[in-house]
Amino acid sequence: MKRYWVIGLVLIVLLALPLMAACGEEETETTTTAAVTETTAGATETTAGATETTAGGETPTTVGGPVTLYLGGTFALTGAYAEDCAAVLAGFEDYTKWVNENHILAPWYTDRTIPGNITFELLWGDDALAPDKTVTIYEDLKSKGLLVERISGTPQTMALKDLLIEDQIGATCQTAAPAALLPPGNIFLKNPILTDSLAGAADWFLESWADTSRKPRVALLTADSALGRNLDIPEMYAYLEEIGYEYVGAQFVPQPATAPPTTQLSWLKENNVDLTLGAAVNPTTQPTIKEAVRLGMGPDQPYKITFCFGEPGHLQIMVPDMGAMANGTVVSGDMCAWEDKVDGVAFANMLQDTYRPNNRNTNIMYLDGIVEAMTQVEALRLASLETNPAALTSVDVLQKGFWQIKDFNTGGICANNLTYGEGDPQGIEMVRIQQVQDGKIVDLGSRPIKRNILPAAK
Amino acid sequence: MRLPSGTYAQNYGQDIAMVRTRSHWIFLAVLMVFVFTIPQWASNATLALATIIGITIISAHGLNILTGNCGMVSLGHSGFMMVGGYTLAILCRSAGLPFWVALPVAGLVAGIVGIIFGLPSLRIKGFYLIMATVAAYFIIHWLVLQFRSLTGGTEGMPVPAPDLFGLSIRDKTIYYYVVMVLVVLATVVAKNILRTRAGRAFVAIRDNDLAAEVMGVNLFSYRLQAFFIGCVFAGIAGGLSVQYYSFANVEQFPFFDSVWLLGMLIIGGMGSVSGVIYGVVAIKLLQQLAVKIGPSLAELVNPQAAVGLSLILPSVAIILFLIFAPQGISHMWERFRNYYQAWPY
Repeated sequence: MKRYWVIGLVLIVLLALPLMAACGEEETETTTTAAVTETTAGATETTAGATETTAGGETPTTVGGPVTLYLGGTFALTGAYAEDCAAVLAGFEDYTKWVNENHILAPWYTDRTIPGNITFELLWGDDALAPDKTVTIYEDLKSKGLLVERISGTPQTMALKDLLIEDQIGATCQTAAPAALLPPGNIFLKNPILTDSLAGAADWFLESWADTSRKPRVALLTADSALGRNLDIPEMYAYLEEIGYEYVGAQFVPQPATAPPTTQLSWLKENNVDLTLGAAVNPTTQPTIKEAVRLGMGPDQPYKITFCFGEPGHLQIMVPDMGAMANGTVVSGDMCAWEDKVDGVAFANMLQDTYRPNNRNTNIMYLDGIVEAMTQVEALRLASLETNPAALTSVDVLQKGFWQIKDFNTGGICANNLTYGEGDPQGIEMVRIQQVQDGKIVDLGSRPIKRNILPAAK
Repeated sequence: MRLPSGTYAQNYGQDIAMVRTRSHWIFLAVLMVFVFTIPQWASNATLALATIIGITIISAHGLNILTGNCGMVSLGHSGFMMVGGYTLAILCRSAGLPFWVALPVAGLVAGIVGIIFGLPSLRIKGFYLIMATVAAYFIIHWLVLQFRSLTGGTEGMPVPAPDLFGLSIRDKTIYYYVVMVLVVLATVVAKNILRTRAGRAFVAIRDNDLAAEVMGVNLFSYRLQAFFIGCVFAGIAGGLSVQYYSFANVEQFPFFDSVWLLGMLIIGGMGSVSGVIYGVVAIKLLQQLAVKIGPSLAELVNPQAAVGLSLILPSVAIILFLIFAPQGISHMWERFRNYYQAWPY
């Protein structure tokens, strides 16, 4: 009999708790307030999480106490994107130190100052490209007071997209799957989405196509991952055919490549493909190009074919490794080269000279880290102009920060200035095309995007 | 069940009871109160972790029936979760079925797919069956990507939030309770399956399939039953996972998750229902620990070296358990309990 009493009690508890949780709580706005550093020096006392500071216990003031604002987010430091994300993290780290020491946004933005009482601190976690880790890190960092977020890949984008909308948190990201824009959420991109990026490369190739007897034949040669398969959508084939290509088909290469993609490359040869489009990181693109050269495929090889990859398949990583063997390879995206004489690169070099003189990070994604960190700081700064920094919420940072970023100069790191807004998370308007020629990166110019080649909404 | 000295079964009901002594009841009640009050005191991050642990426990129960009880090692479990996840997404999104209908159907569909891929188990076992289950994962992965009109292909598909009497289950706290109620249910079912004729047949097949067959156990039928049951659990876990992220995408079900699930069984104790829970909690907490200390450690060493801990810590734990405690935490607990009950003798 006793057993039934206990079972009954447990059942009542089980049933009551969800109902209490559901009915007992008011619909609350899921926002996070900025953490306020607790200080007891002198007569001023600032209380953690509070929005007002009491001086001498008499007159309450609302500004002036030291405030810590956080930036950062999740980084895929384990897995295929590890090298790239480690460089992004290094960019974040160095920029955070610099902005705390100099209290301006960038050397070319001396008028955009950061109040002296604000200190930025970097929070991050390794999501290992796993959605479950991404969600727990996101919640953890949010509970620590992170009012912005940073996302590193497609699975993380999909795991966080709805949460970011629910929590009204703005996130930065280098580039994302086209599905990230369905509907446009709070993930602010500094590169074009991959379909738009590769469409730019397709435009460029078509301009140089001289054979009037036939249409150029195009195929996808892309990573066998969410990143690579982003391109494999009917809307992309339709666009290519619409502008004058004959679409042949798609081949997928494991990411990272576990074996030379001989079969895939041979298929391209058999089908007389002139141009390939793909999205992959260097551990995939480099073995692919090496094998293509071995098979005599490339713009300067007996079988004429051009390989185009979207970023993050950066030439700035490929060229130092492969030199002239990479000749003819094209990458479309947004990043400038380390060799470019622009303010952003000079800034990055200065950061490395200052904070890592003996341990320089030569990966081009270091520049991405600087731009993303700068964007987060700008969003926090803009929001702080309108609201007491100690009382900032993620909604403030999204609406008064990210949505107000217009014509944002990245020092030439991005192809053009970034402009965001409500329902407009794709900040870039140009796609930059680069090619390896004689073992060097040559800028072939930029082409306008904003075609938004998106999968049909289901 | 091993009972303290002086406690013995007086009737059949007591003999088959899962919870017998007062201390059992107290332990269970404390555990339930702890589990079901987590949302009242824990942070959102802890709640998210607990929800993910709950979903993983359901999946691991399935693998435990298949591998721990029936002796058929599967590395395709993540694929069967994918089947369940996509089934739920399609039923909720395209067919407009409610979550409560779609979830059991997701389990059933995963179970049927499990039977199909379990068919070779009559002829092959051991290493060859492992390879067949690996192939099953990649075939399922490929099919999901190919049937784009149904599954959304690489982009995946969003899943609408379900309702329970007008309450949105997308609320993280309510969803946690939904998952935990299902975890309790799955644990009771998994425990009971072992006490059925089928459960005993599974164990007989695992221990010696030839002897079991000679004794009249229909190997083919019971192996398929094990596949079906194991994959039903996986399908339900997959459905819950997809609903949790509000999105179905193949990358949510990486192949390596199957390997970790097997590692969880090794650490917890292969074949033990409570061991499943110990194993899942241990591995997930180790991974979480690595994530937590990674940034601090990165100040001393390279960030990539620091975050490598999230792979290294659980892997080292698996190796250590294989060497020093191959029967897992549940067996260690059993030994401790025996020692404690016999103390001071």
